[in-house]
Amino acid sequence: MTTTDPLAGLPPVPSEARFLARADLQTLIDVLHEDDRRVIGPRVADGTIVLDEIASVADLPAGWGATQEPGRFTLERRTDEKLFEYNVGPMSWKGYTFPATAPLTSVRRTAEGVAYEPATRVIPKLAFLGVRACEIAALFVQDRVLLGGPFVDDDYRERRRSALVIAVQCTTAASTCFCASMGTGPEVRSGHDLVLTELTDGFVIDAGSDAGRAILARLPVSEATTEQIGDVIGAVSAARLSMHDGVVTVGLQDRLMANLDSPRWAQVAERCLTCTNCTSVCPTCFCTSVIQRSKIVGTASGSVRTWDSCFNPGFARVAGGSFRSRPRDRYRQWLTHKFSTWVDQFGTFGCVGCGRCIAWCPVGIDVREELAAIAPPIVPRVPPPSPAPIAATPTEFATARVTSTRTETADSTTLVLTETDPALIRTKPGQFVMLTLPAFPRLPISVSRVRPDGIELTIRAAGPATRALTQIKPGEVVGIRGPLGVGWPIERAMGRDVVIVTGGIGLAPLRPLIDAVLADRSRFGTFRIFYGARTRKDMLYKDELAVWASSPDVDLQLIVDRGDPDWLGRVGVVTQLFDQATWEGSKASAFVCGPERMMQNTVRTLFDRGLHGDRLFVTLERHMECGIGLCGHCQMGRFFVCKDGPVFSLAQLGDTFGREGI
Amino acid sequence: MTTQTSAASVATRPRVGVVKFASCDGCQLSILDLESELLEVVARFEIVEFPEASSNRSEGPYDVLLVEGSISTEEQAEQILELRKAAKLLVTIGACATSGGIQALRNWADHDAFRASVYAHPEFVDSLAMATPISDHVTVDAELRGCPIGIGQLRELLTSLILGRRPEVRDEAVCAECKRRGAVCVLVASGEPCLGPVTEGGCGALCPRWGRGCYGCFGPREGANAPSLGRTLIATGRDEPEVGRLFAGFTAWAEPFRTMVNDLGGTRGAGGTRGAVRPSDPAAAPGAESDGATGGRA
Repeated sequence: MTTTDPLAGLPPVPSEARFLARADLQTLIDVLHEDDRRVIGPRVADGTIVLDEIASVADLPAGWGATQEPGRFTLERRTDEKLFEYNVGPMSWKGYTFPATAPLTSVRRTAEGVAYEPATRVIPKLAFLGVRACEIAALFVQDRVLLGGPFVDDDYRERRRSALVIAVQCTTAASTCFCASMGTGPEVRSGHDLVLTELTDGFVIDAGSDAGRAILARLPVSEATTEQIGDVIGAVSAARLSMHDGVVTVGLQDRLMANLDSPRWAQVAERCLTCTNCTSVCPTCFCTSVIQRSKIVGTASGSVRTWDSCFNPGFARVAGGSFRSRPRDRYRQWLTHKFSTWVDQFGTFGCVGCGRCIAWCPVGIDVREELAAIAPPIVPRVPPPSPAPIAATPTEFATARVTSTRTETADSTTLVLTETDPALIRTKPGQFVMLTLPAFPRLPISVSRVRPDGIELTIRAAGPATRALTQIKPGEVVGIRGPLGVGWPIERAMGRDVVIVTGGIGLAPLRPLIDAVLADRSRFGTFRIFYGARTRKDMLYKDELAVWASSPDVDLQLIVDRGDPDWLGRVGVVTQLFDQATWEGSKASAFVCGPERMMQNTVRTLFDRGLHGDRLFVTLERHMECGIGLCGHCQMGRFFVCKDGPVFSLAQLGDTFGREGI
Repeated sequence: MTTQTSAASVATRPRVGVVKFASCDGCQLSILDLESELLEVVARFEIVEFPEASSNRSEGPYDVLLVEGSISTEEQAEQILELRKAAKLLVTIGACATSGGIQALRNWADHDAFRASVYAHPEFVDSLAMATPISDHVTVDAELRGCPIGIGQLRELLTSLILGRRPEVRDEAVCAECKRRGAVCVLVASGEPCLGPVTEGGCGALCPRWGRGCYGCFGPREGANAPSLGRTLIATGRDEPEVGRLFAGFTAWAEPFRTMVNDLGGTRGAGGTRGAVRPSDPAAAPGAESDGATGGRA
């Protein structure tokens, strides 16, 4: 996802930046012409900036800027003569890579029957001059759609391949621009052959491909000065900073789908003209229809692919009627596709933040406003105050005595700690402590039970340090800091059904939550626990499992990866315990702990059950050393897992959850 | 049956009639604009009635009857009933036939006053108080919109009649045609009032391509959200009668344009009036008690 670009916000430092004087820009156009390329670029026409064939620099919009607002585009005369001091007009490069109409096939009746022939394709050799960062992102989006799957659009591929991309970094932003929030601009980072940034007297120019370097070598350029490079960074940063109203993309995918019944859909449909201006100007919209064209005498006919739109009443029509007969259905289809289901299908948003759909909507509907109203960003709830930890910083350690130990499985042991600071008794379910033995690294350990006289910690011997901890004898003293982190938000489950899904040692951090629900049972609905382990012997707390299994308060279901002669229960993965169930997930809050892959599958299955992302919680395992967000080890996206977690809602995590390499 | 064709082809060619009521004949002439394809047309269709093109006449029966014009006189109202009986397939062509046409603006006015001001002897003018579309009188099988109709849609209709397929007439706004043709939106870029977003396409965005706002001659498209467009035009500085006038054009009598005219004014006779006007009840026409002196909504 573009929003996780770790470089977002930092302007790229041009690598081999050169300076091209304003007077020499014509040489670039000449060089492109020498290579038999037609140059397509911006020009002033019909009250706006259009894309058209450019013969010379004189065709470019020198001294023109634009004000863009919802439903309005106003050209403005500038006091300088800069050529690219606007953002985008109504046309996008899609018009050249994915033309509005394209012949597909011709059909003839022959003596033998019918003969289909593909249309002859004429692919012009083009150079796109003035491609903005958001527009490169849009080309990438269409690449994914039209080239990224098992079947590709040959026409698009040929057109895309034959076009040279000469990017221009934006040094200004319209009120409709929101590339920064979509993570697509204004900096041009990749996808270009050449990139220009306009300064008062010329351009800082850099190549992004071999083709670009070959052209750069033919231009009368000088080495860009440090001042010029500084000016570029300053100008592009200024464009970034001048963008205010963006889209909050965190969790947006789920937030939108959780709001399919929002009353706002009907409200926006009161305004929406279903006129298809938005989808037509959108640089990523790719929906088309095929039209048959026949001659009246009719031995031959042809078919033509033409831009269509999900806003047209006939777009989803079958013989019995349209699946999306109401404008509100069509608006919802469009918006959820752009900002949610597109991600499922193609791994990116279908929106790059160019703002065309805002400016060119005749009634000025602003997607940013609609998204904020339909799927409001989840304002982090102020969690009930967590107990102040003892020995908060890594320079301190308190001590606690291990008063008893209990072997849970072959490699797991529970330590019972008493004679410790009363703060630990106020540990909330899901919180953890940092535990250490002299000369061993400090380890984050979830609290597996809070007792009136202390806490329990269940530890699996996974390495030398944890093994040492599991071998502690009663009476020994350990170093401890905590409680730390954010625990399970049990208050979010009150009045709702509770679902717990866990595997192996993952039951440990959930046990205090189970204790809390059982202690206050009447405040919760149906309580379901799904627990999986490698084998029967790898299950924790076997005595308690037996008690829960026979309790009317809990619906406990167990499953093992590998059965044995004594196991009479189910064999398989934990999601099999409920993937065929009939209970309604939308009434539940779910708490999940286990290996990352297991949690991903579980989350997916729970989403299928109708659980909302903001009521689905996972606890993440990460390398933690300080436990208070200062050492950086556990950083994940915008979070430090130790301080902001380890418990997170899926809505908080958004698409970072389950992403490899985050 | 007077056309000069062989018996064999008469048996296979559909019999086509082209007739007109209150209209300018422009749509019929569009048929003749097929020019180079006319020989193909007559090879495929037997044109038995087409007064603009031939003095040979036929009262039917017709396999296909193309009807131009709106019903504007008592006599026409009777004729259309007979023609419907004679036609297997009745297709209305053009804004007059499909929505009442420009003459339907009199539906908001005082018919008698109009007649008196134009004709020296209004008593000889035998017209109804309202001009109404064909579909108000008989069942219509298909419509070709426009003032005049688009030659492309006409060609598609004829072709699909031969092939027996549904005509590929897109249910989309003029905007889609603008964008596909690379025309800049006059509403957004120039502030030119334009009915394109609520008007059925088919014209190839003829007016916007020349920098003019669409005046809706193809009539309202399916589900046209005219109120929203009207609100926006008013919010961006136009007064209500001005916006009403925009809708009060060639297809003013078609809903929802009609309601816009009712609500906003915009015809001389509609000033200060409210409420929908029903074609079946001429007495309800607000023009009956308004001479237009109020000139718009107070």
